[in-house]
Amino acid sequence: MLGDQSSELSENNGESESPTLRLCANGACMKTTEVEAKLDEGNIQDAESSLREGLSLNSEEARALLGRLEYQRGNVEGALRVFEGIDLQAAIQRLQVSAPPPEKPSTKKKVPREQPQQSASQHAANLVLEAIYLKAKSLQKLGRTTVEKIFQQGIPDAQVDTRLQETVSHAVELLPALWKESGDYQEAISAYRRALLSQWSLDNDSCARVQKDFAVFLLHSGVEASPPSLGSQVEGSYVPRNNLEEAILLLMILLKKFNQGKAKWDPSVIEHLTFGLSLCSQTSVLAKQLEEVMPGVFSRVERWNSLALCYSAAGQTSAAVNLLRKSLHKHEQPDDLVALLLASKLCSEEPSLAGEGAGYAQRAVNNAQGMDEHLKGVGFRMLGLCLGKQAKVPTSDFERSRLQSESLKALDGAIAFEHNNPDLIFELGVQYAEQRNLKAASRYAKEFIDATGGSVLKGWRFLALVLSAQQRFSEAEVVTDAALDETAKWDQGPLLRLKAKLKISQSNPTEAVETYRYLLALVQAQRKSFGPLRTLSQMEEDKVNEFEVWHGLAYLYSSLSHWNDVEVCLKKAGELKQYSASMLHTEGKNQNTLLTTLLTSLCRMWEGRKEFKPALAAFLDGLLLDESSVPCKVAVGALLSERGKEHQPTLPVARSLLSDALRIDPTNRKAWYYLGLVHKYDGRIADATDCFQAASMLEESDPIESFSTIL
Amino acid sequence: MSESASSHDSPPAPTIAGDSQTTAANESDTNAKCQTAIQSLSSIVTTTTIPSTISLLLDDSSVSAAISSLLQRPDSGSGDNNLCRWLYDTFQSTEPSLHLLVLRFVPLIAGLYLSRVPLRQPQAGFEAVLLALYAHETTSRAGQAVTVNIPDLSHPSIYHESKGPAKNNSTCLNIAVVSSTLDPHGTVRSTRRARIVGVALELYYSEISRMPRESKLDFCGACEKWAGQNGETRAGVVPEEEESVGVARSEKDGGRIPLPWELVQPMMRILGHCLMGMKVEDREVKEAASKACQSLYLRALHDINPKAILAAGSLLRLREMALDPKNQIDHTEISNDNVLSV
Repeated sequence: MLGDQSSELSENNGESESPTLRLCANGACMKTTEVEAKLDEGNIQDAESSLREGLSLNSEEARALLGRLEYQRGNVEGALRVFEGIDLQAAIQRLQVSAPPPEKPSTKKKVPREQPQQSASQHAANLVLEAIYLKAKSLQKLGRTTVEKIFQQGIPDAQVDTRLQETVSHAVELLPALWKESGDYQEAISAYRRALLSQWSLDNDSCARVQKDFAVFLLHSGVEASPPSLGSQVEGSYVPRNNLEEAILLLMILLKKFNQGKAKWDPSVIEHLTFGLSLCSQTSVLAKQLEEVMPGVFSRVERWNSLALCYSAAGQTSAAVNLLRKSLHKHEQPDDLVALLLASKLCSEEPSLAGEGAGYAQRAVNNAQGMDEHLKGVGFRMLGLCLGKQAKVPTSDFERSRLQSESLKALDGAIAFEHNNPDLIFELGVQYAEQRNLKAASRYAKEFIDATGGSVLKGWRFLALVLSAQQRFSEAEVVTDAALDETAKWDQGPLLRLKAKLKISQSNPTEAVETYRYLLALVQAQRKSFGPLRTLSQMEEDKVNEFEVWHGLAYLYSSLSHWNDVEVCLKKAGELKQYSASMLHTEGKNQNTLLTTLLTSLCRMWEGRKEFKPALAAFLDGLLLDESSVPCKVAVGALLSERGKEHQPTLPVARSLLSDALRIDPTNRKAWYYLGLVHKYDGRIADATDCFQAASMLEESDPIESFSTIL
Repeated sequence: MSESASSHDSPPAPTIAGDSQTTAANESDTNAKCQTAIQSLSSIVTTTTIPSTISLLLDDSSVSAAISSLLQRPDSGSGDNNLCRWLYDTFQSTEPSLHLLVLRFVPLIAGLYLSRVPLRQPQAGFEAVLLALYAHETTSRAGQAVTVNIPDLSHPSIYHESKGPAKNNSTCLNIAVVSSTLDPHGTVRSTRRARIVGVALELYYSEISRMPRESKLDFCGACEKWAGQNGETRAGVVPEEEESVGVARSEKDGGRIPLPWELVQPMMRILGHCLMGMKVEDREVKEAASKACQSLYLRALHDINPKAILAAGSLLRLREMALDPKNQIDHTEISNDNVLSV
């Protein structure tokens, strides 16, 4: 019953709509029924004359009104037939003759409305414009887009009444869309620019729409716009030179308008900006934009999480971690999977955060259910990485081996979910290598190279390191050479460094020197030819710098007792001091290896020349730079223990330093060896034997560069 | 490429002078090149008739389909493959319309090539074509990086006023690298493979508005294959079928490849075009592109790659917004008054 009633009602509504539609002009009004009937019969002439009589209109006016009626009734083809009966070109010409000379373009947008003396010409202008506008709309709806010339010339810059302004705004907004639909992209671009750069008195919302449409067009049409013409440039103002720049500028302006309450918030704008800025890798700029978005648009957790993505993409890890801590707080959204995974990944990169990261990863594993179950494997993988990193933090031997085996277990768990993920295979390999299961490590290294088709540099380096740890130096060199073949010149640095070290290990210092020389030339050429615009594809984290190469050479010469060469190399390195100091502080990853080479070569030089004190001073400097530096502790310990042969009092200091170093890095072969010496000089022969044994066991599985340099 | 910002700040000078004299000669040269291309193609594609002009050939879907199916054969990428040779020669002709003809197949070639790498098949044919595209791009931008200036709204621009001091265009802004410098490569070294294919995709994007829909569909398919299986089908899978997922996954995972940013970035631009930049509304392409986006988004989650999460995520949300009826208002529509007047 009820249903019947309502359908009846709606039918009535439908019928009652048309009777209320009326046509009014010159103080008279008439219903549309009669006219509509004539139009339905296809009798435009009759309909026109009844309007002319009923409302005392001229032919043009009557036609315009009929066209609008047809358009509003949804009969666009009929509307088109009516509009085609008006000679619009003639009307335009009449209009342009009668239009007052354009005023000087003023920068003030406020114009006084309603000026009686102009109402006649405005009336005519509106009539023509509306007719043209509706004709264009009808064509658009029929998919037969054509663009009338009048729009291109613009509208006389006169003061306009509300209705004319409305049509003008509509026209300004429609024009670029029409050009776009008709496939004339260059016209569309200039229509957009004219819409935005000329004074049309567009209201804020329609201006915002035009700006957004243009930005979307620039971002996605795939058609490169030529830069804006010089005429539109105010001196000193920023002129975008290409699509991306112009789109980003427009979107930023829009966002500012929203923030100032000058236009209605449109959520798509921030998404377009996110897209544009992440394409240019400018996510820190995006973060700034997101921070400025007025409160209430995003929930705070949403905002924190997006900001964390931005900061982590920009390499600002600690800012990202801080935000994620807030959003994962138990009172916020502690179960958000993406936030948990991102947090665990960021924490896995830093030993001091790894424990915290393992917690996030475990929560991700627990929460990856239902639709999100596929992310369980990612959670396990992160858990494995965090635990592996945590095992590096000084702790008991027991705790360390527990963490290591837990790490392997988690990575194995991840493999069950993502057996085809080469990254996971690589990480599993590195974890095995860290635990000196070299057989498994080399299997995974090879599997990784196969799965990635050799496209990832670190895969090659890893395999070479594993082989070097197995003391298979010549095979390691074969792999390094193969990798060099697959690498473009500018990316070869780390491989050449590896090769030089392999040469040294094979007691081939002459070839090692050759390799270092080549590396040096490469690094120097790189420094000269690289602008800031060149990004090295795969070695962001492992750049070889000149300072380091000089020290590598110094180290090599010191092993050959070529003291003069050592001095030259160290002097060269000293000339690059301005960036050596900052480098020692910033490049954590390479710091240890670098300090070792630097200090060991210095030490050898001074020892070789029987100068003990400067050597010790150099090491103490190193320790001041980084008090937890294992290489420094070992080096000072070594120096003091060697010295201890004659100077017994230095032995306790050496012993404490070396034990310290071994607590941090129990696989440090040299530390074991020198600790053995300390015990020997102190007369603890059994202890000394144990240490030497540990050192020799490690020597058989020591890679040429630490495994942790590649993960 | 589009944002060929490189070193010059002003638009390049128009090159009109002298063109008219050479036009006639060029035209006959062009015709000869096109005829050669058509003739040699007809000896390779024998299943359908080859149209007599390039413009017809560009739009001929049956020829495209025939070429596509030849490309999809298991041994199609080898060095002695005559279709690869034809693509290579055709691109080398430096004739713009012939370039388009080759670019049209970039999605298919790149898709097959990268996914086949772990199979250790000989692919010298595909590599030759891709290297030709790379070399073309390297030459046309003189190896320079493509950069953009990130605007700073505290300085006035053509679109806004600001109280801040006007500054020189070149100095005040934050420069972002959209595509880094290019070094010439004579062979595909494996560590440069992604970059070479990425540059081919950049070139494809620069002509994307002239690419046929089938080519874009090929591209969307390649994206899905590259992303691999990251839980997409789980949404619709009933728990009983769970066990079979493992098998299905490994089969579908055949094409999964490492996705560094140098590939992801041009991929995103192309997908953005398919979703929001096409002249004519094409539902099939949009749906394929949003599926590809979905796959890449899931892959980005699995890789925990924040930049890709941001880019793919924004495209997905924009797609959602576009489908929402309340966002489909035509603001250029007139108001439906009950009283019509002049």
